[in-house]
Amino acid sequence: MITTHALSDHALSDDAFMELASGAGDRAVVGQLREAQLSKHLMLLHVVAKAADGVDPPSPATAAFRAGYQLLTEAQTVDPAAVARLLGLPHIGSWAHDCLARLDKGSAPDFGYLAAVAAAAAVQLGIRFEIDIPVRNGRAQLPGLGCLEVADQGEWITLSSDGERLRAGRDVDVECARLVPDDGSGGTVPYWRGTPLARVEADGQTWEVLLETTDKHLDRYTLPMLAAMTAADIATWRHRIQSAWELLVRHHEWAAGPIADGVTVIVPLVQRSDLDSAASPAAFGAIATSMPPSPVSMAETLIHEFQHIKLGGLMDMLPLVEPSGEKAYAPWREDPRPMGGLLQGAYAFAGIVRFWNVQRHIETEPDDVLRANVLYERWRSTIEPATGTLLEKASLTPNGVRFVTAFREREQRPDSTAVPAEAMQVAQEVALDDWLTWQLRHTKLDATGVANLAIAFQDGKPLGDQVLPEAWVEDDIRKIDSVARSRLINMRYREPQRYQRLSAADLSELGAADAHLIRGNASAAVAAYREGLAAEPDPAAWIGLALAINRLPAMPSRPVFTIHLPLLFEMHVRLVAKGISVNPLDLAAWFE
Amino acid sequence: MSQKQDLSSAIPDLRDLSLERLAELGDSALAHSIDLYRRRLKETGVPLNSFSARI
Repeated sequence: MITTHALSDHALSDDAFMELASGAGDRAVVGQLREAQLSKHLMLLHVVAKAADGVDPPSPATAAFRAGYQLLTEAQTVDPAAVARLLGLPHIGSWAHDCLARLDKGSAPDFGYLAAVAAAAAVQLGIRFEIDIPVRNGRAQLPGLGCLEVADQGEWITLSSDGERLRAGRDVDVECARLVPDDGSGGTVPYWRGTPLARVEADGQTWEVLLETTDKHLDRYTLPMLAAMTAADIATWRHRIQSAWELLVRHHEWAAGPIADGVTVIVPLVQRSDLDSAASPAAFGAIATSMPPSPVSMAETLIHEFQHIKLGGLMDMLPLVEPSGEKAYAPWREDPRPMGGLLQGAYAFAGIVRFWNVQRHIETEPDDVLRANVLYERWRSTIEPATGTLLEKASLTPNGVRFVTAFREREQRPDSTAVPAEAMQVAQEVALDDWLTWQLRHTKLDATGVANLAIAFQDGKPLGDQVLPEAWVEDDIRKIDSVARSRLINMRYREPQRYQRLSAADLSELGAADAHLIRGNASAAVAAYREGLAAEPDPAAWIGLALAINRLPAMPSRPVFTIHLPLLFEMHVRLVAKGISVNPLDLAAWFE
Repeated sequence: MSQKQDLSSAIPDLRDLSLERLAELGDSALAHSIDLYRRRLKETGVPLNSFSARI
């Protein structure tokens, strides 16, 4: 029996840590993260193995696990590197994580999956074997390779191989060498569906990435994986990845090589109207995304999600955030985020800032230049407040403080090229709309404090020494109906021509005040919002009023709206409930 | 001049351990690392970093 003293912990070089803190991380750094993930997978495999040993008498699943473990051990003696590559896949991390979660809940994990992993290794290495592996929905999965179509079989199927051919059930008898991912170059293999593989190349740099849509352990994101991809779908994905890869290699070299080393799987997600993407620390090396609408968007998504992957890998090695119930504003999400999520987001968007800072210099079409500048400024301006919150909330470990401090300093370095005025104005308005909406949605105020302040205002007392009510973050305390307006505000840079068309068209569905705002008539918008608020203290109208006021530089109350909007709204509600008519501008002026 | 030290992580280095030897590890050998990992999962869950972009 091996004892503890024989093992050491993974070490991360200080240079690698600081490089990751700078927002980057080269191929060597990514290599260190990958090696640690392999060890994590092995550690979890050990947990699952002990659990399987504890099942007596063995079930078909635990028997398959043990047979799989044995076969993998044999494969490792033949080609340790190939087995390490297989065990490092996100499929395995995801499965092992699911096993741990199920064991901790007292339910049986998917023991049989390891037999399929072992079969995949044996098929690749030409090893003789016979093993039972699970069948789901008529498919026997060989992780990382593809699946056998074995319709009408039971829950298990016996695979056997003489090292040359694989046999399964009554029908399947295929050459092992042909059981590979489908890179689009070969013909069909009976009963075999190779996992689609995108093999892309640009300027001599290659990247191979699987498009995984069948492994249930990678179906773990906010949207389901795309269950059935047609040949045309796969071709579109390959083409989009190729185009994005060319962009990354030629203009974002800092990200391209590490992505090629660190991302082995893309999980295509079902498509909604918006682009959805995700990454999970349980599946290091996998990026889930719906189809990005353009190569630029695909490249941005890859950088975005790879930032999450890197930081997730680092946080597996070195915890950076202490557990706490704290939640705060994150400009990229509608919900209040815990500190770990805030750090993840800030880190991901630092990568996006770097991406757009290049794009804004290489785009040539005016609309694309505008979009790149807006997105650069929009996200650049979020990093300082987000990292400031992380440092202020005191919920970082010592390594976390060091990491965030270094990261913040790197992101504070000014860029030499100014953002054009129009892009700056759009970015600031989009950011303000997001901030105001979030505040009204999630800021709870002490009711007694609000009432006292409303009385003081009603009595004509100066703000002077009045105590402002306590405020705290709480999920979804007000419903805000301003999605259509926010979409139009964002359309100014996302689709400038469509924005021009729509803003010149009939906007009556929006309401008069929003229509004035969208058309750029801020004074008329202020008047219309005021009129609307006289009838009802609607939070969306308060946000619209704040946006309109913000467009009028001469208005001294502009900062009041930015800082105190939830308080203005709650005081308004309180006063209206008492039958008192209030001019919102007078209320705001009281705070000046 | 100060020597930069490597940072010791919470993950045991198992890269060079064969599966055969991994199976022979006693319960105590990885217990501390596994407990740490489990505790972290319990405290923070597995954060899913998801993003929805308006397009």
